[in-house]
Amino acid sequence: MSEREPPDPLAGLGERIDRARAERVREQATVGDRSAVQQGVGFGLRIGIELVVAIGVATGLGWVIDRWLGTQPWGIIVLFFLGIAAGMLNVYRAVSGIRAPVGFRKLDGEGAAGGARPDAWDDDEN
Amino acid sequence: MAIELRPLEQFTIERIIPIHIGGLDLSYTNAALMMTIAVIFATALMVLATRRAALVPGRWQSVAEMLYEFVADMVDSNIGQGGRQFFPFVFTLFTFILFANLLGMIPYSYTTTSQIIVTFALAAVVFILVTAIGIIRHGFHFLSLFVPHGVPKVLLLLLVPIELLSYFIRPFTLSIRLFANMLAGHTMLAIFGGFAASIGLFAFFPTAINVLLVGLEFLVAVLQAYVFAILTCLYLSEAVHLH
Repeated sequence: MSEREPPDPLAGLGERIDRARAERVREQATVGDRSAVQQGVGFGLRIGIELVVAIGVATGLGWVIDRWLGTQPWGIIVLFFLGIAAGMLNVYRAVSGIRAPVGFRKLDGEGAAGGARPDAWDDDEN
Repeated sequence: MAIELRPLEQFTIERIIPIHIGGLDLSYTNAALMMTIAVIFATALMVLATRRAALVPGRWQSVAEMLYEFVADMVDSNIGQGGRQFFPFVFTLFTFILFANLLGMIPYSYTTTSQIIVTFALAAVVFILVTAIGIIRHGFHFLSLFVPHGVPKVLLLLLVPIELLSYFIRPFTLSIRLFANMLAGHTMLAIFGGFAASIGLFAFFPTAINVLLVGLEFLVAVLQAYVFAILTCLYLSEAVHLH
């Protein structure tokens, strides 16, 4: 009568852990995809309005200045073009992923905010 | 039997409790009521869900924890160092807009965020806070934000006004984005709904479209709250980490 050994609880444990890990990585990859899509949609909604509002607000400001100083039509003309420039600047910055929306310099990642921060908007570029 | 289409009627403001002080109309309106409800719901969710905090969270507790982690993540990855002190502000803003948007999706309720004065007030708070933090932390150096580096002096005459303009436009883009999305979405729902009601037999098609639109509106409601919060984070990050 041979003594039957109880099954080793640790047998195959490493394999099981590996399998679970692989599954988890795969899961995270799909989650990442989804949040990239979500960010893309948010990004699109954000860009769409940027240019229009910039031009509208600037032109409105020009109109107010004109009425205030009596300089028709120069305020509207000048501020209309400045508004186009400002709107394009905002769109360009948002698209190119420069962190600091105002001011032409890039924020250096290591000094400013602790290492390479994952850029929320960069996901759409690849 | 003509059914009148009035898709904008849903945005009418009605005075529930008229209050007039001096020349000011401070009435408690249906918009104010929905804001109150949004605040009560958001507070109730956080307070009740975490009252009996368990190590293994129940349903409500996990909702509250997910909300918390989502915003904490957003604040950490966008403001970075020294961002945690702004967490309460961003969290409050995000949950309030989220609840206001989502409560607006309930039929016969009212979407407060479709009123531009509401979204503009929120955006103005963000703008003033960001500017104040920039000035308090950096003093006059904050103004260097508007002067681009390495540009010929002559061009500065042109570039500084552009930079100033693109800075002062922020509260407008922030508020108009949220307001326009909510207004357009709810108007569209009302138009398709009225359309379905008026054509009788073939009402199936506009109704089907409306079902899809409701789904889209839920997406927009959540996404716009997210966009508002993440832009707040970006602006704060800029004011905090100025060179």
